[in-house]
Amino acid sequence: MILIDSPFANIANISRALRAAGAPLEVSADPSRIAGAEKLVLPGVGSFAAAMSWLVERRLDAAIREAVNRGTSLLGICVGHQLLFESSSEHGPTRGLGLVHGSIERFAGALPVPQIGWNRVAARGPLFDGVEREAFYFVNSYAARDAENETATADYDGPFTAAVQRDRVFGVQFHPEKSSAAGLRVLRNFVQWN
Amino acid sequence: MELIPSLDLLNGRVVRLTHGDFETARTYGEPEAVLDALDVPRGTRLHVVDLEASRSGRPIETNVVRRLAMRDLIVQVGGGIRSLDDARRWLDCGAERIVVGTVAAESPALLASLIDAFGANRIVPAVDVRDGVVRTDGWSRASATPLAEVFARIEALGIEEALVTDISRDGVLRGPSFALYRELRALTRVRLIASGGVSTRSDLVSLSRLSNVSGCVIGRALLEGRLSLANAPVAKTIPERVIPCLDVRDGRVVKGVSFEHIRDAGDPVECAMRYEAEGADELVLLDISATDRAASTALDTVRRVAESLFISLTVGGGVRTLDDFRALLRAGADRVAINTAALRRPELIRECAEEFGVQAVVLSCDARGGFATVRGGRELTDVNASEWCARAEELGAGEILLTSVDRDGTSSGFDLELLRAVTSRLTIGVIASGGAGTLAHFRDAIESGGARAVLAASLFHDRLLSVGEVKQYLAAEGIPIR
Repeated sequence: MILIDSPFANIANISRALRAAGAPLEVSADPSRIAGAEKLVLPGVGSFAAAMSWLVERRLDAAIREAVNRGTSLLGICVGHQLLFESSSEHGPTRGLGLVHGSIERFAGALPVPQIGWNRVAARGPLFDGVEREAFYFVNSYAARDAENETATADYDGPFTAAVQRDRVFGVQFHPEKSSAAGLRVLRNFVQWN
Repeated sequence: MELIPSLDLLNGRVVRLTHGDFETARTYGEPEAVLDALDVPRGTRLHVVDLEASRSGRPIETNVVRRLAMRDLIVQVGGGIRSLDDARRWLDCGAERIVVGTVAAESPALLASLIDAFGANRIVPAVDVRDGVVRTDGWSRASATPLAEVFARIEALGIEEALVTDISRDGVLRGPSFALYRELRALTRVRLIASGGVSTRSDLVSLSRLSNVSGCVIGRALLEGRLSLANAPVAKTIPERVIPCLDVRDGRVVKGVSFEHIRDAGDPVECAMRYEAEGADELVLLDISATDRAASTALDTVRRVAESLFISLTVGGGVRTLDDFRALLRAGADRVAINTAALRRPELIRECAEEFGVQAVVLSCDARGGFATVRGGRELTDVNASEWCARAEELGAGEILLTSVDRDGTSSGFDLELLRAVTSRLTIGVIASGGAGTLAHFRDAIESGGARAVLAASLFHDRLLSVGEVKQYLAAEGIPIR
């Protein structure tokens, strides 16, 4: 399993959580290593556009697509999850990896943005085995809504997409590495999934 | 929970009185214009009080009620209704329901005949309470009938919903009387329309969490623009957080009263791991040696604690520059709290938010007597605490950690007035800190104080309460936890 070594992510926290979840982990930003990985984790915090242009500059977008086409399982976390979509409206429309359908929009309700804290998630699918009705820790100003590949929803002055799955591509809008036992369970489910 | 806008009418105009005094009437204009300005949608239940009628004892504003009823509003009207004839006149004008105050407490026979004549669903008994005693005749008299008996009567007559006003509440300062509504939950199955003291969105959230409160009358807060019907969605299911705090000095957890009389309370990593296992939602680590010695925060302690946790960690103490902030994030902090340096140079908040994101910036405010202090509570400033917190939100703080230095370590409860003064002005969340002593204190900080998280230190260090006990209690009180 390779954790993509993005400068737009807290690599130390995520790698510690993945190792605690049982992953034999390599941290790399090398396109050839990434293209050949068995499993990939794409982390991210901050700006969608900055994270995406870093992927493009390093030709990691192509490497990730190549891996997914070969049958690699991929987990996107937070902005890494958002990058899986076709586009985001952050700083004007920006294209994403297009591995799942839909787009990312800013929260438009009356609650404070960013959302910071725990939120209850209604989920299904292999990633959420045993944690289908748990709370997870979110830090986000943007999210998908009613995404076609949605496997989990939460409510923040209206429903939003908390997780997606399309074949072997998974994404979670929350931070599993900050979601205590429930988050570690999601990571373990990904580590053990075939 | 149904939101019911309330209009007080005098001479055909919408007015507000202060303490029921007609001399103080402030006029807001024609009812239709006010309703349009407040964006009241068709089909809304409207609570109308005919002030002159309450004074003179006969219906006055019948034309206004007729016009309002024709606008597809469900009008409930009150004001001095003392007879079947009064009630009939209002209903003939198109009022859907009539609100009876004094009658409900003092004239059970008349209440029964009103129900016989018009049906229980068209009568809304209004019960005004001050300090647990029912008041009648425009609040001037204490009723001899106990609260429990008034409600037993209402329930026996088949009435399902009553309006309850706590007239001792003073708007923003104290908020709705959650204790009264909770007390009534044990006394009666009658659903309550809460009235009085509702002034913040958090008040609406807290009321909606009480299972026996079905509606809420909003008057002054709507007219003054503090609440609107459109942006009052109720985030009642979003979990609130319980946060243990580690005050750390020289690599050890310490504790003290009002930031003084410091004692050792253990190893930070052991404490942190125990708290996560007990269900802590986040952890705050404050390096209390840092400000005093003008030294950088104990990065090594932060690193060791961060490495032992899978929950969010906020670190504060002695953060003066962007470099201090960055160093703590690199050491594993998810968020960094700034205090003294931000008070001395508020732009630091904006710079940190631009560099590291709003979500990473926590403004820590140590308040004493309503004013912000610096240097760990030792030095009082002339900066009003609630104004400062509102300014910090504008500058880009993602959350406020609000500590009452007066209450810190006293176990006498969070400073609810301070909390309301701050939370009523902010959109971002406030973490309440200082004074936790009992389970009810945590509930009150969230319910009345409007806090989105509650923090305690010595209570947890001394194992007087566990994080798990606090969360179980909050859940039982209807406050969502994760």
